[in-house]
Order: sequence, then C-alpha cells, then structure tokens
Amino acid sequence: MAHSPRSARCSPVSDTRPILALTGVAKSFGGVHAVSDISFDIAHGSVAGLMGPNGAGKTTVINLITGLLQHDTGRISLDGADLSGSPPQEIARLGIARTYQNVRLFSGMTSLEQVVAGGFLRRSTSMLASFFGTSSARQAMKRTQDEALALLERVGMADRANVLAEALSYGEQRRIEIARALGSHPKLLLLDEPTAGMNAAESQMIGRLLHELRDGGLSILMVEHNIRLVSDFCDHVAVMNFGRKLTEGTPAACLAHPEVQEAYFGRKRTPPSESESHAQRARAHG
Amino acid sequence: MQLLLEQVVNGCAIGALYGLFAIGFGLVFATLGILNAAHGTYASFAAIAGYYAVVYLGLPFVPAMVLGVITGAVLAVIVDQIAFQPLRKRGAGMLGALITSIAFWMILDSLAGLATEQQSLSFPAGTYPTWIIMAGSVPLPAMQVIAIVSLVVVTVAIHWLITRSRLGAAMRAVGWNETAAQLGGVNPRLVILATASLAGATSGLAGVLGGISTNNVSFTLGEGMLLKGFAAVVVGGYDDVRGAAVAGVGLGVAEVLSAQYISTSMRDAITYALLLSFLVLRPRGLFGRTSFMRA
Amino acid sequence: MSMLLDWWAAYESTLAFAIVNAFFALSTYAVMATGILSFATVAFAAVGGFLGVQLLAQLGLPLWIVLPGSAVGGCAAALLVSVVFLRLESHWLALASLALILITRILVLNAPALTGGVNGLSVPVEAPFWLLLVLLASVSVGFWRLSVSWYGIAARAVREDPAVAGSLGIAPKTIQLIGFAISGAMGGLGGVLLAMTLQFVSPETYYIPVAFTMIAAVVLGGSYHWTGAIIGALVFTALPQIMQAVVPQVQNVANGLALLLIMIMLPRGLIDPRAWRIRRALRDARR
Repeated sequence: MAHSPRSARCSPVSDTRPILALTGVAKSFGGVHAVSDISFDIAHGSVAGLMGPNGAGKTTVINLITGLLQHDTGRISLDGADLSGSPPQEIARLGIARTYQNVRLFSGMTSLEQVVAGGFLRRSTSMLASFFGTSSARQAMKRTQDEALALLERVGMADRANVLAEALSYGEQRRIEIARALGSHPKLLLLDEPTAGMNAAESQMIGRLLHELRDGGLSILMVEHNIRLVSDFCDHVAVMNFGRKLTEGTPAACLAHPEVQEAYFGRKRTPPSESESHAQRARAHG
Repeated sequence: MQLLLEQVVNGCAIGALYGLFAIGFGLVFATLGILNAAHGTYASFAAIAGYYAVVYLGLPFVPAMVLGVITGAVLAVIVDQIAFQPLRKRGAGMLGALITSIAFWMILDSLAGLATEQQSLSFPAGTYPTWIIMAGSVPLPAMQVIAIVSLVVVTVAIHWLITRSRLGAAMRAVGWNETAAQLGGVNPRLVILATASLAGATSGLAGVLGGISTNNVSFTLGEGMLLKGFAAVVVGGYDDVRGAAVAGVGLGVAEVLSAQYISTSMRDAITYALLLSFLVLRPRGLFGRTSFMRA
Repeated sequence: MSMLLDWWAAYESTLAFAIVNAFFALSTYAVMATGILSFATVAFAAVGGFLGVQLLAQLGLPLWIVLPGSAVGGCAAALLVSVVFLRLESHWLALASLALILITRILVLNAPALTGGVNGLSVPVEAPFWLLLVLLASVSVGFWRLSVSWYGIAARAVREDPAVAGSLGIAPKTIQLIGFAISGAMGGLGGVLLAMTLQFVSPETYYIPVAFTMIAAVVLGGSYHWTGAIIGALVFTALPQIMQAVVPQVQNVANGLALLLIMIMLPRGLIDPRAWRIRRALRDARR
C-alpha cells in the first residue's frame, strides 16, 4: 500500500475548526427522504471521503453543499458562515468548487477554454473592460490563460490544451474537470467519484494530485467507490446508506465497522452499474 | 338571460374546439419537447379531407369525420418522422425541431391553399347533422353538442391514458427524461409515434368539427386554431390535458361573451389579456406543477 | 457598368431587407447565446419601430438621435419583459414570448394615437443603404468583442450548462439579463430600420412572420456564432426571391423544402465552430 507519509497525520476532527460543517441536514423529494439528518465536519487541509452504496444520497449531499439543491432542515456552514439559501454562484464565490459524477464539461469548448471559464471568479477585470479590450483587461486575460495552462500541466493535460473536450477520453475529461474546478482557487474542492472510469494508474495519479493540493492548503471532500483509493488517500471518512450516516472515522475504522461491512460486502461486490447510477440521478432530480 | 345562456353554449362549443386542438399541441410539447408550428395544418387538412369525403365520395358524416381524424393522425406521424426523427437521432433539441416544423407549416399551408384553390369552402347543407335538443328553453344544436361531447370524451380518455396506463406512464417519463423512460423498458419510438398520432388525431377532430361549424374549410382554419389553441395551452398548462380542455372552453366563453356584451373588436384583446395575466400570475397554468431545476 | 447598375437596381432592396433581418437575427442570437429561445425580439422591434417613427415624424428629430433612441427604447422594453420572463422555465419562456407578440399586436391596434391603429403610419424618411451597411458593420464589431470578452465566455458556459456555470461563480440569470438587454437594443434598432426601409408601419409589420423569419435565419445560419445570424438572414431573405423567380407557382413549398433539407443536413446551422474544430482535430490526428 502506497501510504503517503502525510496520511498518517490524520488529525481528529474535533481539535481544529472545521472548514465545512453539516449539522442535521435533511432533504426529501416528494416524500422520499434522499438525505436524513446528516452531520459531519471536514477539517481544514484534509482529504475527507464520503462513501456509501449507490443511491445512498452522496451526490445529493454534494448538490446541497453547492446550493444546486436547498436542504429542508439543518445547517451547512463554510468557515462558520451559514450557506443556507445562497445560490450556487454565491457559494462558488465563497470558495467551494466541484466536479460531477457524470462529467459535465461545456460542449464545443477546448480543454483550455474550459479551464479559463473556471477562472471566471478570478478574472480581475470587469466584463465591460474586457468588452472594450483595455490593456489591463488584455493583461488580465493573458494571466488567466497562463494560469489555466499551468493547471492543465498540473493534471497532466497540457499537451491537450487545444483539443475539443468531447474528443478526450473519459479519464482525461475528469482531469479537465478538476482543473476547471481549481481555476477559481477554491478553499474546498468537492469531487464526485473523481476516478470513475479511470484505470489504476490514473486513479493513483489523481490520489497523489489530491495530496499535493491538500499540502498546498486545499481542503477536499471526495465521494468515492474505490475503497482502495479511499483508504490510501483519505484522512477521514463518513459512510452513508439509505440517506443516513452509518459511521465516520479513519478509513480503516470505517471499513471495519460491521454495518459498513454489511452495506458494502454483505451483498455481492459489483462495480457500479449504469442503471444504478441513473436511478440515483433520477432521485436527485426528484 | 335566454341570450346569455345561448351565448354560453356557443362559447362552450367554440371553446371545445380550442380545447381539442390544444390537447394535442400541449401533449407534443410536454412529451416530445417540440413547439410544433405545423400543428394547425393537421386541422386544415383534416377538414379538407372530410370535405372531399362528403362532397366527392358521398360518405356520410361519421365516416367522413373518422377519415378527417385519421388524416390528421397520419399527417402528424409523417411530419414527425420526416421533420423531427432525424434531429432526434442527433440530439439537436427543440430548436431544430421548431425550425423544421416551421418548414412543414410553410409546405402544408401552401399545399392546403392549392387543395382548396385558395378559397374557403363549406360543407354543403345536409351533409352533417342539424338536429336540435332543447335543454329547457335553450336550444342545443347538433354540431355544438358533438363538439362539447367530443372534448369531454377525448379529455377523459387521454387523461386516463396518461395517468393510468403503461403507455401513459412511459409518455410522462419521456417528457421528464428520455433515459429514464428507456430504463423503464418502454420503447421510446413507440411512445413518440403514439404521441404524434394522438396529437394529430385530436387536431384533426377539431379541424373537421371546426370546418363544419365555422363554414370555413381552408388553410386559414388551422392558423386561427393554432393561435387560440396556443393561448389555451398557456392558460391551462401544457403538462395536463385537463388544463388545456378547461382553458379552451374558458377562452371560448370569454370570447363569445365579450363579443356580445363588450365589443367585437375587443374579443381578441380579452383572450390575450387573459393570456398575459396567466403568464404573470400563474406561469404554469391552471393545473401546472412545479418542477426541479436539473441538478 | 450598366449591367452592374441594373443588377444593383434589382437587388438593392433585397439586400436592404437582408440587413434589416440581420438585426432581428442578431437580436434573437443575443438571447439564444445565453441559452434562451425567445421570440420577444418582435415586440422589442415594435417598441423601437413605433417610437422611432414618432420621433421622426412628429418631432422631426435627426437620425443620430432617433436610431439610438429606438435602441434604448427596445432595451428598456427588454429589461422590463425579462423581469417576468427570467422567472419562467425555458419551455414556458418560449411560449410566453410568442404570447407577447400576440399581445403587442393588440396593444398596437388599440393605441391608434401612437401607432396609427389598423391603418398604420407612413414613414417620411427612408434609410439610405450605406447607413444600413455602416450600422451592421459597427454592430458586428460589437458582437465580435462580446464573443471574445468575459461576457462571451460566461454566456457560452450558461448556454451549455447553467447549473455548472453557477458552480463556477457565473450567475446565469445575470448573464441572461444582459443577453435580453442586448437583444432589446438590437430589436429596437432593427424595428426602426424596418420601418424606414418599408416606409410604412402597421400592426402586421411586427407580427408572427417576422418571428419565424428571424428564428429560422438564426438557426439556419448557425446559432453558435454571431456571424451565423448575419449569414442566415442573408440566405433566408434571398431564398424566397430565388424561389419566386424559379418556381413561382409553388414557391412556399420550395422554401419550406429548402429549409427542411438544410436543417436536417446541418442541424447546427451553416456556421458551426464546433464542426470546424472537430474537422481540424481529425486532420491533425491524421497527420
């Protein structure tokens, strides 16, 4: 097991102020409880994992945090500030960025353009100045582009900068999506199954990237099925099933928990099938 | 009082035609996501087919009406398969379909004009029922009774189909999300064909009945219906057939009464004022439901 | 030389109408570029048109005031309308904008003091052809700048996926509001230019046929690049002229067939930047 020395640090959540705190969060769609009474914290500068079988409500939690859905009860706060009722763009401005379970890149844009769009919040020029093409606006755009290139480099995609995103493989598209999310310099990055559709080498590369980012001060929450990745790279894990939190703790402790054992290994271990993830999405739609 | 009651019956009868037309227009919009500009031409052609059937083939009223309805349904399926199916395969969305429907509208309108030699024809007397039922002191002419009964029967039948049957469940599912529909084990192609032919048939029924009762069998018949049916769909909500039916009748009554008691020139103004207030105050229509943003 | 002049005499008015239609198409494109299908351009054109004609005929103001005045009028109407429209979900918005055209016509009919009612108004000033060209050129520069600016990037993101755009900090409704404002200004300008080209306005001037013409022009030309709107307007104005010359009996059938064929073969329109990029990528891959 390729434990990085850092993952041993695994600080208990209680002794630092959390960057993100969910307290008693619940969400139901027309009487169906997608998420019930979920509470967990993410420590500053940690990689947290959110695990659970398909349909457990993990993606709904991400949608609630990013404001795409509004929670019915409970409280979600970023660095102590309540996020309830804020629209997605406001939550993005406060420093939360995300990727999607079923990659959602913009059709018709190149890799570079996707990442540039991700830098919208850091454009440091007004839309009007950019319309008139003032010299400061041009310089600012150049900086954004350079930074986007650097981000592409970071995810190992610099050589595909001018390729249409549709022409990339699934794994490559996921990496572009991570670079796009990083374009806004978030404090907290939410990754929804970042390694789905990737091979083992690519997954390990993503894991190492996450540790580099964490060591640069970024906090990360990742929804993941890949138990190996979670136990290798997460500092702290929460496990959900049927919209509820089963347990939380270190990856090893969580995986040893009997209910987790049952939820995960009690039934046949099959890779997430298409139909299940569709069902989950349909559920997120309401 | 007598006049008021008679006018209300008139309004219901005209409104029933709007409602019938609107049901199909809304059904295609809700299920297939297509704003179909050619929908009115189905009504025109159905009326023309019915007219030719009675005048040249000497068919009685009921078979002629059935022929009109079938014409509407067949035309709707042809338009769907030529104009919409190729775009559907490429996932081009509602925009492309709107344009191809405009293209078919131009083609079919023009052909309908040729078919009637640019004239407005009317069904000869004696080719359709003219009996009158007396409801107390209020006379109910045959064509009005037929229009109202048709609307009720069609609304109940389609509402039942959509809410109770397997095909209807699939139609609703396609409206929400095509992938979800496929997962339910329903062939989307079948749903598409069923929806298109149902919509064409209702439009055709409205066309034949409207062609008889307004003495106007021409390409302008469908155009008039398109605007009124559209208004009914906005007021009633496009995702519920009951809404379209009720709104159609409501618009018909409002129209007739305002022409009678206010002024003929204000007739359309009232229709569209209703339209505007619904857009602002109740943007999802009478029976509209709320929906979630795609998250 | 004389041949050239004959040709010009025959086609000047067609070209003038093509340019006017280009303004309508650009107005429609401006909202479509933010992911909205709206026919409201026709209503903005009516506001700009009748306002411009009143300024010209009643107040006798010069063109350099009238044209911007019409654009501002259209823009104001668009901002007003968008407050209601942007609350609607996309399908409803499309329906509502069609309804707006019907309602506008009724308003125009019932305000004869301002609009001439059923009889319409004659317009004393004709738009010189060079002015149309200059205006189209300057508006084109504007659309080019928009497309390369941060607004353009944000608009593309909102169009492709508003939820994702939101999570990148781009407020979809704000971008769409700006789109409506631009659409209103273009529509208002197009409205007064149409009035000055026809030299007559009536309730029928700004009605359903204009809506279908402009939407067909945009989609035909390609709704993913601003030049598509201009090309589409040119093609869609010239097509009926050609058909009338070639097949006068069934020209509308031929128009419809041509539109149908183009849409089925090129569903993303004549101008499609994504198709160019895919072709380029394929060429690079082969090399």
